[in-house]
Amino acid sequence: MSLINRFMIVVKRKPRYNNFYRVSSYSSSSFNEKQNNPNDSITKSVFISQSTDIFTNLALEDWFYKNQDFTNHHVLLLWRNNPCIVIGRHQNPWIEHNTQLAEKRGIVLVRRNSGGGTVYHDRGNLNLSFFTPRERYNRKYNLEIITRALYREWGVDAEVNKRDDIVVEEKYKISGTAAKLGRPNAYHHCTLLVNVNKTALNLSLEKKENGIETNATTSTRSPIKNLVDINSHIQMDKLITAIGWEYLRTKALVLEDGGQDLIQRQKGFQYINPTEDWFPGLDKLISEFRSWEWNYGKTPKFMVTRVVDVPTEDNKIHRFNLVLEIENGIIEEIKMKLPADLASRDFNEDVSVITNLRGSRYDHEVMENIITAIGCKTVTLNTSQTVDKSNMIATQ
Amino acid sequence: MAKVIVQMTKYTARTFSRTSRECLFNFSAPKVSLHFSRSIANSRSLNAERFYTEKHEWITIEGNIGIIGISNYAQEALGDVVYAQLPDVGSEIEKEAECGALESVKAASELYSPVSGKVIEKNEEVEKIPSLINTSCYEKGWLFKVELNKFDELKGLMNEEAYNEFLKSDPA
Repeated sequence: MSLINRFMIVVKRKPRYNNFYRVSSYSSSSFNEKQNNPNDSITKSVFISQSTDIFTNLALEDWFYKNQDFTNHHVLLLWRNNPCIVIGRHQNPWIEHNTQLAEKRGIVLVRRNSGGGTVYHDRGNLNLSFFTPRERYNRKYNLEIITRALYREWGVDAEVNKRDDIVVEEKYKISGTAAKLGRPNAYHHCTLLVNVNKTALNLSLEKKENGIETNATTSTRSPIKNLVDINSHIQMDKLITAIGWEYLRTKALVLEDGGQDLIQRQKGFQYINPTEDWFPGLDKLISEFRSWEWNYGKTPKFMVTRVVDVPTEDNKIHRFNLVLEIENGIIEEIKMKLPADLASRDFNEDVSVITNLRGSRYDHEVMENIITAIGCKTVTLNTSQTVDKSNMIATQ
Repeated sequence: MAKVIVQMTKYTARTFSRTSRECLFNFSAPKVSLHFSRSIANSRSLNAERFYTEKHEWITIEGNIGIIGISNYAQEALGDVVYAQLPDVGSEIEKEAECGALESVKAASELYSPVSGKVIEKNEEVEKIPSLINTSCYEKGWLFKVELNKFDELKGLMNEEAYNEFLKSDPA
């Protein structure tokens, strides 16, 4: 009950941002802080990473999250990457991207630590990580900094929607958000599409794998737009400057312009060279982000089902469901299952197929290998591309 | 909300004690006593005292086993939980160390244990249906069970009353 009362107070005080407080109130003490006005004691920095390697940049972000004290110092880290696909912490890489195409084009895949869905990055995309102590985590504040900068510099009218995406013309997404909340730190990071290769984006995120059943976090597909298509004067370097200044001139806890006076009190812009020398332990984090165990091994448990037709010696064709159960990226179980409507007394419901593939890592070729393996043991084998609808991806 | 639950528990307990007295005097039919014993089981699980951390986790203790979850306040603040990453059974966890994560509205929130010990069970239903954390954070939405090895760690925790006071005094 008291919670409702608190919301009432929030509504009275800050009608525009009441939604944010609901999200951020987990262990917040921001009201007290506001009353004591620590806006003056917190300084801000804009860090710009000089690396364009996704593994290095995610490691740098993780390093700050784990090692930096943000109590009196808020940080905005800006970074860009060579072409890559970044999936959310609890997602399934085989659902979220076109594995074969990405490999062919040399687009790397990496799992990040924050929640949410899959995004494509290239040098035309700006990543922004806002670091604060957990109790001052404030997504709406951060996103408003971006929209204010776009408006101040180019008159672009962008809005923050319910999903914390920044949209233009009411529906085109230009920025996607995700966050990682821990103790004592938290970060909110988001993408900002400036001039990305939309063809590569669409192709990379196209889904090819069928028949995966899981409760992993799903991605929400949205129409997107590049900022350059909205205003051709927007360029990456100008945008970095504009958002950086907007961040520095805004008070630490409230969206109030502190103007030149405040800018002069801040620590300003700083280029960051993410190396082991400057950030001890960084190399270990980089190799973790590169590892199979992290990117694929952390996939939530899932099942893949493929329907296969197996002709037998009496010229009858029997239709089976071939089911793989995968945990930690490893094939734990291989089963042949009759679809319920075709179940007959002649077959057991589940027939374990013993192959040496059990215990091995799952990838997009493994299903074909298993079908071939079974083919060797039976007479001839036709694989069917049709997928039992009941085994399609479970959506949330 | 928590207060309401406590009150409900109190009233139910009162009703049952009255029923039990009637049973004694009337030597009533087995049907009633069956009903009575079932209710006792229910009310006991509601009555098991919950202790809270300042970070809004709760724990109930039976013997040397602690059941851990997050408070109603925490689940409301998180919003709709879409994925629960719980600690593996058999793993050793440390007090206040990260042992899993709850994902909601695109944020992955680290999960902490209020006590140290060995994880003996995790709530697989919650892994399948993470929204149980939102709909039933004190019952069906429990997260994992720990075999305690440091009982001293319980000393710093708040009881229901103290936690409610804490929520009032910590404006958020």
